[in-house]
Amino acid sequence: MGSIYGLTALGLTIIFGVLKVINFAHGSLLMVGMYVAYWAIVFTGLHPYISLIIVVPVMYFFGFYLQDIVIKPIFKAEKDVREPITVIIVTTGVWYILDNLTLLIFGPQYRGIQDNPLRGKMIEFGEMMISVPKLWGFVAAVITAAAVYWFFQKTRMGRAIRATSLDREAASLMGINQFKVYNVAFGIGTATAGIAAVTLVPFYNIFPTVGVLFDIKGFIIVVLGGLGSIGGAILGGIIIGLIESIGPQFMTATWTEAIVYGLFLLVLFVKPSGLFGVKYDW
Amino acid sequence: MNILEIKNLVKDFGGLRAVDTLSLSIEKGQILGLIGPNGAGKSTAFNCIAGVYPPTGGEIYFAGEKINRRKPWDLCKKGLARTFQIVKPFSSKSVLYNVMVGSFATTDKTAVAEEKALKVLKLLYFEDKKDERAGNLTIGERKRLEIARALATEPKILLLDEVMAGLRPAEVDEMVQIIQKLRDQGITIFVIEHIMRAIMALSDRIVVIHFGKKIAEGSPQEVASDENVIKAYLGDEYVVS
Amino acid sequence: MTRQNINRFALTLVGVVAFGLPLVLRSPTYLHILILLYLYAYFTTSWNLVGGFAGVLPLGHAAFVGIGAYTSTILSLQYGVSPWLGMIVGGILAAIAGVLIGLPTFKMRGAYFALATIAFSEGIRVMVENIDYLGPFKLNGPSGFQIPPKNIGLVNYMFIGKEPYYYIVLVMLIGVLAFTYFISRSKLGYYLNAGGEEPEAAMALGINVARAKLIAMAMSSFLTALAGTFYAQFTLYIHPKSVISLDLSFEIAFIALIGGRGSIAGPVLGALLLRPVSDFSRIYFGATLPGLHLIIFGTVLVLVMIYQPRGLQEPLTRAYNRLLDKIIGQTAQGKVRHEYS
Repeated sequence: MGSIYGLTALGLTIIFGVLKVINFAHGSLLMVGMYVAYWAIVFTGLHPYISLIIVVPVMYFFGFYLQDIVIKPIFKAEKDVREPITVIIVTTGVWYILDNLTLLIFGPQYRGIQDNPLRGKMIEFGEMMISVPKLWGFVAAVITAAAVYWFFQKTRMGRAIRATSLDREAASLMGINQFKVYNVAFGIGTATAGIAAVTLVPFYNIFPTVGVLFDIKGFIIVVLGGLGSIGGAILGGIIIGLIESIGPQFMTATWTEAIVYGLFLLVLFVKPSGLFGVKYDW
Repeated sequence: MNILEIKNLVKDFGGLRAVDTLSLSIEKGQILGLIGPNGAGKSTAFNCIAGVYPPTGGEIYFAGEKINRRKPWDLCKKGLARTFQIVKPFSSKSVLYNVMVGSFATTDKTAVAEEKALKVLKLLYFEDKKDERAGNLTIGERKRLEIARALATEPKILLLDEVMAGLRPAEVDEMVQIIQKLRDQGITIFVIEHIMRAIMALSDRIVVIHFGKKIAEGSPQEVASDENVIKAYLGDEYVVS
Repeated sequence: MTRQNINRFALTLVGVVAFGLPLVLRSPTYLHILILLYLYAYFTTSWNLVGGFAGVLPLGHAAFVGIGAYTSTILSLQYGVSPWLGMIVGGILAAIAGVLIGLPTFKMRGAYFALATIAFSEGIRVMVENIDYLGPFKLNGPSGFQIPPKNIGLVNYMFIGKEPYYYIVLVMLIGVLAFTYFISRSKLGYYLNAGGEEPEAAMALGINVARAKLIAMAMSSFLTALAGTFYAQFTLYIHPKSVISLDLSFEIAFIALIGGRGSIAGPVLGALLLRPVSDFSRIYFGATLPGLHLIIFGTVLVLVMIYQPRGLQEPLTRAYNRLLDKIIGQTAQGKVRHEYS
């Protein structure tokens, strides 16, 4: 489970790293991804994981155009603000629209993939029983993080994105189209939410507000791992996941939730830049 | 009496030494100019004095008191005010509002603050713009607003960071007059400036720094004829940057 | 007639209408809607003290509503303390909590503060849901408290009809508006605005920005908690999901943002425009189109942020001024104003 939190947080951290904006709609994007995956699987009868080839591009373009149409105008209006608070507000608005639109269209009922080959499958791992879809989730998280890292380090677009994240004015003077970079970064962030959604679909219920849970966890993780840090997002996700899976053996499940919030506030007090964050940025 | 005294000031950023064992002092009522090529560490020195950055080493005394790790707002209340090289007006508010923020440093009453602010605006020939939104001002007016705000805090010493950069020649002359007028009112002035004509006309003494180190000090004439200074500005400049 | 006279006349008229309304309007449903409208206007105005003037984005104000509601309810149900007194205690507790969140986060950029407030309020909700007893106080976990309607009377903050509640919340709203007006013209108001807009410049002008924000946060959370008590006494039923919900936090922030943060009229305007949308869409479409009002909220929010980032109060104020110009006929003065637009 932690790895999927990590994947969600990864998308958040990518978007934050570049746009300097916390995307409050990220959980909703995950939710949209889950619905896309669900319908893709139901209509085509594909193996859940094969739906990636549909979900990832769909989500990429969804994020790309969301940024292009909704968020870009604000960046244009507030050119000199480095971290426009208005964008946070707008993404919150998007969150509400997406969640409730989904509620309106698909209704509040929980959905799940009924006859899927992965449901309830376990493998034994020494003493531990590990659920197969969760294991795949872990694999997906690691591969995605590595791919994203590679993309940012090695490709031309990746470098342009990093340059923009350091100083958007300087980058645009160097001939980088700032807004295109933002669109792409937002698209990638959304696509990783799509990957998280696909790995989640085989064993998790789908409902309009499913994103909220991951949204808040995602925030906690990115702050825990350090805003803008890719490795931090995955590690933070795993930490939270571990707390949530080990915790209930000693106390009620909701108490572990309280511990997660407590940990978050503790990190804020003690090391606000996060466990792996870069201090300079703050 | 020296109102501001700096002894062996050092400021490091990571491995980079921005200010290197800089010592200087300003007598009360003087105008001291600080010049040097781009990136010489002038603004960093200012920021250390004004409490923005804690110095890595050395001592800063203001009116006899050590102020090394004081916060900017404390220093302001003690009578040390500064302007910013990159102007930072409260853009959505009127000029008067901006200046009143400054004058609240010495009063709690809104009416008193307004009165003081109007006085400052009058001193700077700025009254007619008092209801203008700060965001709508020209660059010259914004620089003047920076000074007005700082002045409204009733400082003993005023740190001016390139208040003339980007101004038209006529505006520069006006600014020089304003600064002299402030000095005549008893305010000590410490000024960073790139416009040589202005700083030569203004300063009682000039300190030149290069790579964070002091390379010359003296009257404007002495500095202008100093070999090291000429080399720093003409010789090494393009080699380095 | 001068501009000032017209303003004064308009304000008085609004006041008379507001106070006289219950005499004409007998329908409890409409009174209920109005009470909630005023309550939300109160919430958003309190929120505005920190979210508007201090230039940060608090997204967890429901925590303070909850602290207020729970404190007074527990004290009155379990210890027989008058809710009026409990209200003050709750306010103080909320102020302390507000300062505690602000302390580490105000020095950092906006996003952190927004996140911290969310985590804090969610953390409180989860705690309350899990704890039955906090020391000697019964919290009652997820089921919350039903307040039995006995001991009716002013001392117990409990009344039969809706009219007394109407007047209480109206007076509270007027009080908080007057307070905001006073603050905005005081040193603190100037300091908050300055610190919110350009913190570095503000510090250089003698402002301890973090401290000013902390004071604002304490006042805002105190005032919010007072209305939490009102909520408890009015609905007579509180539970974690109603008073400490994220939805409530967001709704408060949304209304203020749409109306116009940082202005005095903005939050009230927001409540005036959005509360009816929410109430009526719930009444008429609640069953068939669930969540419609939230879609409307979200869409309005996005559009307002894109086209009127300073909220709807700006164009409306402009229109109002233009109207006044027409009435007075002082075109010269009008022209000066138009230059801003």
